Amino acid sequence: MAADADARNARLAALIARVALADQRAFADLYRQTSSHLFSVALRIVRERGIAEELLQEAYVNVWHHAGTYAAERAQPTTWLTAIVRNRCLDHVRKRDVDTVSMTRDAGDDAPELALPDGGPGPAEMLLAGAEAHAIRDCVERLEGGSRQAIALAFFQGLTHSELAQHLAQPLGTVKSWIRRGLERLKGCLEGAGVTE
Amino acid sequence: MNLSRPDRARRLDLVAAEYALGTLPARARARLDRIAGSDAVVERALRDWERRIAMLADGVAPIQPPPRVWASLARRLGFDGADDAPWWRRLGFWRPFALASFAAAFALAVTLFAPRTERPAESIVVVFAGPDARPALVASVPSGDRFLAVKALAPVTVPAGRALELWMLPGQGAPRSLGLIPASGVGQVRLPAPPELAFRGIDALAVSLEPAGGSPTGLPTGPVLYTGRLERL
Repeated sequence: MAADADARNARLAALIARVALADQRAFADLYRQTSSHLFSVALRIVRERGIAEELLQEAYVNVWHHAGTYAAERAQPTTWLTAIVRNRCLDHVRKRDVDTVSMTRDAGDDAPELALPDGGPGPAEMLLAGAEAHAIRDCVERLEGGSRQAIALAFFQGLTHSELAQHLAQPLGTVKSWIRRGLERLKGCLEGAGVTE
Repeated sequence: MNLSRPDRARRLDLVAAEYALGTLPARARARLDRIAGSDAVVERALRDWERRIAMLADGVAPIQPPPRVWASLARRLGFDGADDAPWWRRLGFWRPFALASFAAAFALAVTLFAPRTERPAESIVVVFAGPDARPALVASVPSGDRFLAVKALAPVTVPAGRALELWMLPGQGAPRSLGLIPASGVGQVRLPAPPELAFRGIDALAVSLEPAGGSPTGLPTGPVLYTGRLERL
């Protein structure tokens, strides 16, 4: 598993290096190998297909223009790409929150595949599934229930503190401290497991 | 506030974590982005948390974006040949072939039909060329006949386990299969209707390389080896 991931990352890093030299075929390859993961990440945060498509496109435009700044020794290619897409999407939803004031987002609108079937994995289980490939599974499992749930919702659905508070029917202060504590624990645990560097 | 001061390490770490997790409001996000542009300590804290957080995303089930995303991305970046149309819709696709095939078709038509005193109502001739624009196959059907005769002008090599499939390319809509061509490149393909009906609205034919037995999807799946414009004579 880890060897697979290493090989994949090495392949992607090589593609990004070629993209930095304006190699269109390498860029097409990179897109083919990463777009379905990144589209999924984008859809979870913005929830509207059309917008997710647009943001995904913008993220790849960004990748095309900034591949030269990618430093393989500082981040895995998947990390770098995921961060570009997530940041693009988070900027969008946060700005929209400000613009519209209303923060109601009807779950499932326009994105039926996001409506999780009953009994399907919830965000917290997904967090564990994602972590499974890494040593961080233990770290995620060690989080308290509230922290784990709040972090998972924030991460997978792009919710803000107040949306989380609404969603979890908890006071804002409680949710904030769940997240804060959860993140601190996660970091400590990851460093302890030697996963980080 | 100078976030990179050593006594603010814990605060910076938390803000960076929330940035990466995505819970920070828009203004705080923008401010942090700005600071990270000129402050290496802050930049480093953001990237560290992005790395931790990105690991969590590994488990999401992939969702294929629709083809239009790539198409408009390629157009936006001004890529060579960027076009959202599939190959059989692309006008430019024909350019390399058009001249060669027209010339060859004309020459062929002369040899095929010159001896006749009266011209048949509609005979079909297609000269197929590969990407090198050299004529590779000829297909023809006399008016009233139901068989398209296909003949390779040069030896054709078909890899084991693969087959050549012949397609009609309509002006509107997806390619329609006419069936398989023998690996030798010589054979007869029975038309579903008399040529003037079978080829109504058809601009061109193409030959693609498919799995043995033909395309499993009903559309070309393999590389397109040859294309030729339909000449009605």
